[in-house]
Amino acid sequence: MAQNASTLFEKIWDSHEVLRKGADGPSLLYVDRHMVHEVTSPQAFEGLRANGRKVRRTDLTVATMDHNVPTTPGERRLPMADQTSDLQVRTLEENCREFGVRLFGMDSPDQGIVHVIGPQLGITLPGATIVCGDSHTSTHGAFGALAFGIGTSDVEHVLASQTVWMQKPKPLEIMIRGSMSVQRAVTAKDVILYVIRKIGTDGGAGHVAEYRGQAVSDMSTEQRMTICNMSIEAGARAGLVAPDEKTFEYLRGRTYTPENYEEMVSAWKKTLRTDSKASFAKRYEIDAGRIAPQVSWGTNPGMTCDVTEEVPDPAEYGGGDRSREDSARKALQYMGLEPGTPMTEIPLDRVFIGSCTNARLEDLVEASRAVRGQKIARGVRAMVVPGSQAVKRSAEEMGLDAVFKDAGFEWRESGCSMCLGMNPDILMPGERCASTSNRNFEGRQGTGGRTHLASPVMAAAAAVNGHFVDVREMDMQDGAV
Amino acid sequence: MSDNGAVTGGVIKYARDNIDTDVIIPGQYLKIHDYAELATHAMEGLDGDFHSKAKNASFIVAGRNFGCGSSREHAPIALAHSGIKAVAALSFARIFYRNAVDGAFLLPIEIGEDAYEGTSEGDVITIDVKAGQMRNETTGRRYEIKPFSEIIGKIIEAGGLFRYGMQQQQQQKQKQQQPGS
Repeated sequence: MAQNASTLFEKIWDSHEVLRKGADGPSLLYVDRHMVHEVTSPQAFEGLRANGRKVRRTDLTVATMDHNVPTTPGERRLPMADQTSDLQVRTLEENCREFGVRLFGMDSPDQGIVHVIGPQLGITLPGATIVCGDSHTSTHGAFGALAFGIGTSDVEHVLASQTVWMQKPKPLEIMIRGSMSVQRAVTAKDVILYVIRKIGTDGGAGHVAEYRGQAVSDMSTEQRMTICNMSIEAGARAGLVAPDEKTFEYLRGRTYTPENYEEMVSAWKKTLRTDSKASFAKRYEIDAGRIAPQVSWGTNPGMTCDVTEEVPDPAEYGGGDRSREDSARKALQYMGLEPGTPMTEIPLDRVFIGSCTNARLEDLVEASRAVRGQKIARGVRAMVVPGSQAVKRSAEEMGLDAVFKDAGFEWRESGCSMCLGMNPDILMPGERCASTSNRNFEGRQGTGGRTHLASPVMAAAAAVNGHFVDVREMDMQDGAV
Repeated sequence: MSDNGAVTGGVIKYARDNIDTDVIIPGQYLKIHDYAELATHAMEGLDGDFHSKAKNASFIVAGRNFGCGSSREHAPIALAHSGIKAVAALSFARIFYRNAVDGAFLLPIEIGEDAYEGTSEGDVITIDVKAGQMRNETTGRRYEIKPFSEIIGKIIEAGGLFRYGMQQQQQQKQKQQQPGS
């Protein structure tokens, strides 16, 4: 079929479309990689069992346990203290055994947050379709894959058929112009928080976002993962970045990198990019040079401001939109914040450096720059939770564990940890936390917990100071050991 | 449901946008496999009285981007097992919408500003998908609802994604068995 000019997303979509119902109908998409975790899979396996079905492609399916597992060193064994978590973890083990799915269990050296280990093991590949029962599956888009989260019914459908039904989203361009390097310590996290703040939590609804522009080209692969990770927070179905040499290099020589990888790279170089004449259904443009370190003040990721700003006045924030104003008022009430308070004067109780957004090696290196030779502020409890066992080992080889521990941080085992309040790492009611995770929803980190989203270096500096500071003004140690 | 598919019941209204999956069913409950028990924690992050209110209600009416956040299917399940038949909202987050339909847990109904503004907590409404209408029985006003796309309508009619798939398969088999086809 002769191709008109297409976007990267459309190319991947078209090459995976098994069939389409009518001209505008949903398509049945072939799934190249299916990642499974303990929380959204039990009913799916149960469904297979009840209907006498098998996992169609065990070779394209991998599982790990990340959401429930304790991150306290020494407590990663069965039985786990929390009985319901224990059951969920055991159920995944049994299901993987019964159905022949490869599992990176709690004691595996490859265990970690599913979106961290996928790329790390070379399971994530450019041009692939990747699904997982987890909304942050969009992370894998950083490799030029079409990756999106699905619910448990769809998990069952993919296990059984290696396909998923989907209405074709529209292509969205998020052009990030300029260079981030003009501002020290402004990171990919600040860029994506800024994007969500500008386009809104449903600004990407119905679309797959492609991040483009100089700032994106300049970013490392792990930084791009941070950006793509939070696409869902802007309402987008997925987010992706065209692969380049950095992408190919990242995946080269990993445990499960395909044997014919170099051939694949040659093919990808020819195909995996948006044609110059392709058109996007919607476009946004952001100037990276203007982005300051970001901190969220409210209860969704769009409620974010520059660290140099003050907690906004709801009426001003609403700008005449009553619903927006009400949301801001309710958010401030939940967050226990007064309008006009400088963001740098809000005292913090906890600091969490972790999650699929910001727990890779580069994130920890970044964070360590604000910590080296320092002590965390009195009254602050701070923890670093590496995204995977491999990240933890690499960080330890660099001596980062000592840097954090010397400053008073807890250095933990890998998992989702305090991102989502499903395991023992939670906030107490009223506790205020600087968090490198992705969601500041009410109760997300524990009932009554108050979350401020920020970058790793911002969170680390906040731990040292007991409140947020503008990291651009800090005299930071060069943590690149 | 009555014969024509219309549902009548009470309304619980949350006049806010971005009601996320973490308030619909907080993370700590995702380990619960018993749906009845899961339901007792529905909306706990926003409204501690929801479960008891839901005994006398069939609908949630809410603002934009309902169900944003996580892919947890527990969200529509917890609402459905609390007795909620439909969520009528200005818009939905994609995965919540999909999950609600896939498992035939509840109907995600997209409504306009008029219906949203014109409905209050405790009103009795009827949602009539076939007629494309939401009627506020308390105020007597009628509103149009956004029709389901063809396939979504069929999945709902079949009672979920898997049943729909099975039906399709059967239809295909029947076609193949017809001579000359």
